[in-house]
Amino acid sequence: MNNTNDPIIRLIEVSKRYGKFEALKEIDLDVRKGERIVVCGPSGSGKSTLIRCINRMEEHTSGQIIINGHELTDKTKDIDAVRSEIGMVFQSFNLFPHMTILKNLTIAQRLVRKTPKAEARDTAMHYLGRVKIPEQANKYPIQLSGGQQQRVAIARALCMKPQIMLFDEPTSALDPEMISEVLDVMVDLASDGMTMLCVTHEMGFARSVADRVIFMDHGQLIEQAEPETFFNHPQHERTALFLRQILRH
Amino acid sequence: MDAMTGWWDDYFWASITVAEVFVCSLFFMVIFGLLGASAKLSSNAVARSLANTYTVFFRGTPEILVVLLMYFGSAVTLTAIAQLFDSSIRFVDIPPFWAGTIAIALVVGSYATETFRGAFSGVNPGSIEAARALGMSNTQTLFYVRIPEMWRLALPPFGNHMLSLIKDTALISIIGLNEMLFVAKQATSTTGKPFTMYIVVGVIYLGFSTIITLATMLLERFANRHVRRAP
Repeated sequence: MNNTNDPIIRLIEVSKRYGKFEALKEIDLDVRKGERIVVCGPSGSGKSTLIRCINRMEEHTSGQIIINGHELTDKTKDIDAVRSEIGMVFQSFNLFPHMTILKNLTIAQRLVRKTPKAEARDTAMHYLGRVKIPEQANKYPIQLSGGQQQRVAIARALCMKPQIMLFDEPTSALDPEMISEVLDVMVDLASDGMTMLCVTHEMGFARSVADRVIFMDHGQLIEQAEPETFFNHPQHERTALFLRQILRH
Repeated sequence: MDAMTGWWDDYFWASITVAEVFVCSLFFMVIFGLLGASAKLSSNAVARSLANTYTVFFRGTPEILVVLLMYFGSAVTLTAIAQLFDSSIRFVDIPPFWAGTIAIALVVGSYATETFRGAFSGVNPGSIEAARALGMSNTQTLFYVRIPEMWRLALPPFGNHMLSLIKDTALISIIGLNEMLFVAKQATSTTGKPFTMYIVVGVIYLGFSTIITLATMLLERFANRHVRRAP
């Protein structure tokens, strides 16, 4: 297999076009196993598109994306198998509304992993405990608050025992008082050694958890650095401007 | 009601026939509707235009005509084929039960196509994306996420389609199926009491449609169980 020093995610000159619009322009990025990366940038900068290309929710137009040594192409036979190794958390939670919380957590284990029923249930309860809402197992998503739904969504992704977790603005749709309960879960996950890519505007989270912060603008990767350097000594004027804007108040 | 004496068991068996036609045509109606809706939502242009032709034809022609065309059309075709092998054969048909069942299933299925198409479009794309991101295949996503979510949206108009089906069973008397209207016609010619004979048919149909309406209500309550908040 691949060397442990090889990146778990490698992007080589990845571009993505929607018609004439270039959403991503020749992005190069390596992510090591266990690395925690925060992606930030103004809206429309391509940060969501970037992480959505990593589990092929979007197809890149050119360049190479290599996950764990496997390149993602049209010919990737088992894209479902690749996806099952990559957990994804969405801005709008996207729980299955017609299933109970427990069913939301077991369905993919049963269908994709063919996990026996009792084992899938145990795994689900384990992760529900980890996101601190085991008592909600038999409710439906709509009966939960936004923060609780997002924690369920994280638990649902974790039940697949993924090697990589992608977060696409996980706290942007939440009321302010619920943001910290979701961030707590993410911090806990980070301290566990999970490889994480988070698109987020939570700069406090970036500062305390990230190994690397990436700034994107107009589909380009402008700057990447450790949080200390990134926040205190941004190299590019666009980064500095962005930071001034979001940290002003 | 004295005139009814001796006719009750005919009405009973005829209403059983109606129930049988209803159940069979319901099955095919759902199949036609789902096939039509998938074709209309498909990226394949041939499938889309086939489905469009289907809905334009069956929504645009009288149901009674479809029943007649289905029965005589299949009979003419089958007879022609049979005569190729044995010229002494005069007439071959498919049983009126099946010709009628398929005919009304095709008609109501064309309406159900539009219902299902709309309901599939109403499913939250985020749910589908979440299923795919978890590694579920297209087929698994269809059966475990898209159809169960679509179902809730489709139910109210689907209840109407079931009512159409039960009423359309009356059309099959025209090709000689021994159903209620057929019995009422015979009873009228024997007893000379058309109003009595036809009002009984009306009451039985009302009974059927009441059951269907109640069943739809219960199904809707079940389908919406996750939408109600806890008290």
